Amino acid sequence: MVEPDVAARVHDPGTPAIPGLPDWANRHTDNALIGLLVVAALTLVGFVLLYFGGGPAWPGFAFLAIGGAGIAAYGALVYPFFRNLERRLPQNEERWAELEGKLVASFEQLGAGDLVRAGEHTSQLPARLSRVSAAASGALSSLAQQIQDSSIEVASAADAVNQVASDLASGSSQQAASVVEITAAMEELARTASQIAENATRQAELASRAEASGESGSEAVFEAVAGVEEVQKRISAIANRADTLGTRSKEIYRVLELINEIAQETHILSLNAAIEAVAAGAEGRRFSVVAEEVRHLAQRSQESVESVRNLLDEFSGSIRATIVATEEGSKEAARVLERSRAAASAIDELRQASGDTSRVARQISMATQQQNAASDEVVMTLREVSLVVQRMTGGLKNLSGTADRLNSLGLTIQLLAQSFHLDSPRSLKHMVEEWGKELERAATSTELEETLDRLVQQTPFIELGYFADTTGYLVALCYNRAAVSGRQQLLTLVSAREIDMTQRPWYRTVSRERRAALTQPYESLQHTGHVFTVAAPVYGHDRTFKGVVGVDINVTGWTRI
Amino acid sequence: MIAPESSSKGANGSGRLGGLSTGSHLLVQAGEYVCALPLVSVRRVVRSLTVHPLPGSAPELEGLAEFGGEPLPVLNLARMVNAAPGANPAYPVTVVVWAGPADAREIMGLAVDAALEVADVPSASVVAGGGGFLLGEAPIAGRVVRVLNLEALGRET
Repeated sequence: MVEPDVAARVHDPGTPAIPGLPDWANRHTDNALIGLLVVAALTLVGFVLLYFGGGPAWPGFAFLAIGGAGIAAYGALVYPFFRNLERRLPQNEERWAELEGKLVASFEQLGAGDLVRAGEHTSQLPARLSRVSAAASGALSSLAQQIQDSSIEVASAADAVNQVASDLASGSSQQAASVVEITAAMEELARTASQIAENATRQAELASRAEASGESGSEAVFEAVAGVEEVQKRISAIANRADTLGTRSKEIYRVLELINEIAQETHILSLNAAIEAVAAGAEGRRFSVVAEEVRHLAQRSQESVESVRNLLDEFSGSIRATIVATEEGSKEAARVLERSRAAASAIDELRQASGDTSRVARQISMATQQQNAASDEVVMTLREVSLVVQRMTGGLKNLSGTADRLNSLGLTIQLLAQSFHLDSPRSLKHMVEEWGKELERAATSTELEETLDRLVQQTPFIELGYFADTTGYLVALCYNRAAVSGRQQLLTLVSAREIDMTQRPWYRTVSRERRAALTQPYESLQHTGHVFTVAAPVYGHDRTFKGVVGVDINVTGWTRI
Repeated sequence: MIAPESSSKGANGSGRLGGLSTGSHLLVQAGEYVCALPLVSVRRVVRSLTVHPLPGSAPELEGLAEFGGEPLPVLNLARMVNAAPGANPAYPVTVVVWAGPADAREIMGLAVDAALEVADVPSASVVAGGGGFLLGEAPIAGRVVRVLNLEALGRET
């Protein structure tokens, strides 16, 4: 292999750079020409010293020898190199053009974010360049993967922060409302405490008066008890006298019975006298008159006895009523006495209770006044707490908004990371291209739809999968039944066929560039959330373009997954 | 049974009305009725005597009592005049009378509820009865009195 600086020495410096050579070859050519001129100049100096110099001849021979050696060396080394270089130059140009083309294609794929195809192109470069390019592509792929992972974590963390912030904001709102309610309750409590203090003071005064009244009442009741005891004694004396009268009445009854018997006997005696007078005839007529008078006397005696008996009956009835009344009166007096004693005891207890109530009411009044002061302090503290909670609620709302923005930023970063086509199962473009390869094996549209449906059902974050042929005709449309469970399927295969797929950005991009494409998020036709589409080309067995497979990915579900 | 007799005589000078004696009578209470016994036939009024019943005797015969040391048959006057029994009398008495015709009179006791008084029964006021033991009825002091003829009481009483 010829060194470039040696070749440069045989290169004529006045000759312009050889077109088609790389710069380093041109620089070596210039250096070879300069070296050749220097050798020619030395040879010319040797001739001049030999023919025109007056001194010794060895300097001239020395210059000639050096010049001849230089010319020999140029002829032996530099000239064959340049001859060989001149022969190999067209081949190198073709190789350089080929390498340049592969390198440009690799960088174009790299520029399009397709690290897989960029790697395929760089694998055909020279080993060192291929390793360096593969290392760079791998580092870029790893970086994109890390960015994707980090963005997912950021989005997840932001979602969690958003959820926590929302919960905390909701809780803070409730807490603020509760603090307001507690403040109102404490204010009401303070007002109530004031009323309680006033009432307790009045109650203490009333209890003091009740205690004094209780003392007066106790004395009055004791006097009443003494009076009732005296009445009871009087009633007992009346009862004893009535009992004595009853006993005397019985004696009077016996006397009346005796008088009645005497009158009856007198009556019989008068009748017998009248009988005897009649038996005596005319002589007994006067005696019969006497007998009749005696009978009348006996009859009047009987009538008088009867009258006295009636009076005595009334008198005895009155005595019995008096005895009964005095017994009842005595019992009632005993009951009144018992009640009076109970009332005296109750009044005494009431007096003591009134004294206790008065003392307790004064204590309550003092305690409620202290409570009132404490309630005022609590109200002030609660108002400060309310302000803090309101500020915290506002801060949490701001935090929630920030988390929303962070989540959106994470999603944006994810989409940016997903714009790279990586050789990773977590790369959406790679996944859809793999789907496209599986769809390539479907011989009929039915098999294609079954394959697509199977793939859609296996991927939870995909809502919808579809395939459109080269004319934009929608061949298959498959819903993820778990993702749209419970919701009406608004878009059907028939209605979707009315959409011109050739005007959809994902279809146009994939058809034009024949590589996987990813759209920005847009509103889903199926529900109120957002989705984005990832599409990839599908080829036939003969590598002809058959159509585009696309999937709609739910942003929220994909972020959570 | 009692066998009333229609013949009688006045022993004390009292008048006769169709063979019936009139004049002073002893009024007695016999059950619900007031009966008039001729005073000439009445011997004594005593407190109710203690009567010893006779088994198998007529219902009107209450039994035998002791009077003056002699046994005295006692008749229930209320049953004899078919009077409903009155209330329990306070002072029941036994009227000892001469019963039967004058030539065969005997002493009997009549148990009555009470001996009321001695009264005159004018013969003109007596409304004739059956002519036997119940001589008739007469209004005395605003009440109807059954006038009895003790001479009509038979020996077989």
